[in-house]
Amino acid sequence: MLKFGLRSRMILLFILVSLGSLMILNNVFQAQQQNIHNAMENLELSSQLRDIQLLTHEDSLRAETIMRDFNGAKAAVNISLTQSRMISGVVLLLVIVASSAVFVIVLSRINKPLTEMKRATEQIRQGNFSVHLPETGIPEMRELKNSFNVMSRELESVQTRLLAAEKEMIWKDLSRILAHEIKNPLTPIQLAIQRLEERLGSDPEHAKDILPESIAIITQEIENLRLLAQDFSSFAKITQPSIEKFDPTTSIREIIKSYTADYAIHTDLAESTLISFDRTHFYQIVTNILQNAIDASEADRPIWIKLFKERSFVVISIRDEGSGIEPQDLHRIFEPYFSRKSKGTGLGLALVKKLCDSNSAIIRVKSKPMEGSEFTVIIENQAV
Amino acid sequence: MFEALGSKLLAGVVSLSMLLFSTYTGNDPKLSGIRHTSSDSYIHLEANLISAFENDFPSIFTSGTTIPVQYQLTFKSGNRTVINRTYTNSVTFDPGKGTYEIRRAGTADAFFTRSYEEMLAVVSLFKVSVPYQVAWGTVHVKLESSLPTVSFAQVDKAVDLMILWKYKKPSAKTQIDLRKIF
Repeated sequence: MLKFGLRSRMILLFILVSLGSLMILNNVFQAQQQNIHNAMENLELSSQLRDIQLLTHEDSLRAETIMRDFNGAKAAVNISLTQSRMISGVVLLLVIVASSAVFVIVLSRINKPLTEMKRATEQIRQGNFSVHLPETGIPEMRELKNSFNVMSRELESVQTRLLAAEKEMIWKDLSRILAHEIKNPLTPIQLAIQRLEERLGSDPEHAKDILPESIAIITQEIENLRLLAQDFSSFAKITQPSIEKFDPTTSIREIIKSYTADYAIHTDLAESTLISFDRTHFYQIVTNILQNAIDASEADRPIWIKLFKERSFVVISIRDEGSGIEPQDLHRIFEPYFSRKSKGTGLGLALVKKLCDSNSAIIRVKSKPMEGSEFTVIIENQAV
Repeated sequence: MFEALGSKLLAGVVSLSMLLFSTYTGNDPKLSGIRHTSSDSYIHLEANLISAFENDFPSIFTSGTTIPVQYQLTFKSGNRTVINRTYTNSVTFDPGKGTYEIRRAGTADAFFTRSYEEMLAVVSLFKVSVPYQVAWGTVHVKLESSLPTVSFAQVDKAVDLMILWKYKKPSAKTQIDLRKIF
């Protein structure tokens, strides 16, 4: 179906109104001229005069003169009629050509800046606020472009301020979390060392009795610090996925081996499935979600891991009966540094989301406070 | 060159505007191919105007004013113009007698007729004899016809009759090897 924009409508209106009127006028004029021409053709005097019986030679001469004058005048009038019809046609053609040229020039002077503005608006929509229009053309267009440029400069300035504020906020959050997380293990280390110092000072003979316990505390907290550093490092540098085909059921069974002794993990895993995924990333995703489920649940509460095929996808679901997530927090759980736990960096689920995205997988979560949460990962089934 | 270009441009504009915006049909004159024979040192050329006087000419030819029809003949040998002459056939109508007097180019005689058709046939015929030189070799012959500006005494008005041909000059071309026709 034909779409008529502003330019097309203007051209059509111009053609219909002005050119149409000119052509109607011309047709009327031409018709009148043709009528006169036909009337002239029907005028005939010479043959009639020649048929009249003239009495004298002077009469004949006079009649001859009359006929000559009449014929000459008739020829001149016919030629004039022909000239006027031709001239009106030529003038109309020239008027149409000239007015169309002027019209096209004026239209392009309006159309070109509008097209420029449309492109510039598109760039702003895509987030490029540095676009500016040259302030040229007719005065109205210059004013419009000037207003546009002022607007884009202000948007650019606002964007710069927003980016700076966002960066500052991120650094503040990061600093707060780091300070908190580093302080936590440092306190028990300090306490253990202080206890050793006191015992060495007051009862050096029995100082070695508390040495194993102190070493264990210090070692554990150093390990926690190392894990903290590892968490930040993992989140910061997510490598390009190295895709390989493997059976996810086998991988999940390997992952849960170290957990089944201490936790009630129940599985329902379909056989003969195949996914194209980065094996390390898959390991990290499942481990992080499982660890979250363990952290949210009490010691004896079950955790369900299910793997099944649905249409052309493999679906992995990890469900717990823990504390659940408040509805107002659900949309934020994949944000970096967001956590309602007393300890942790808040990077675990953010890492899971990033790994899913880089491997073209989908992650979803359902949760009810005090009832538990279910995390679902959907991956394309390569065995189909 | 510019004159030829200008006349072609004018003819084009007029034709287009008349096609689109005018009810006037005018005439579309053409020249038939040039026929040639030779004898002694003369080459005899003949051609005919076709469809040149169909519309609007009856009143012109019967006006009593002498109406010329011009024929421009050009012989070119290489880049050199060896012949460039204008020949004129003319028609004068006597309203008292009702006869047409036709004077043909290249002859001193006048031809009289009451018949309009016969008059047209004679005035449309181009027939001349031209002396030539064998040394010219192969010549390019061009014949072009046109109508001049005439004055109608009764109305004191000069009119360019080319308007009746829509400013288009009919022409014909041929090539003659003068060494072979001798």
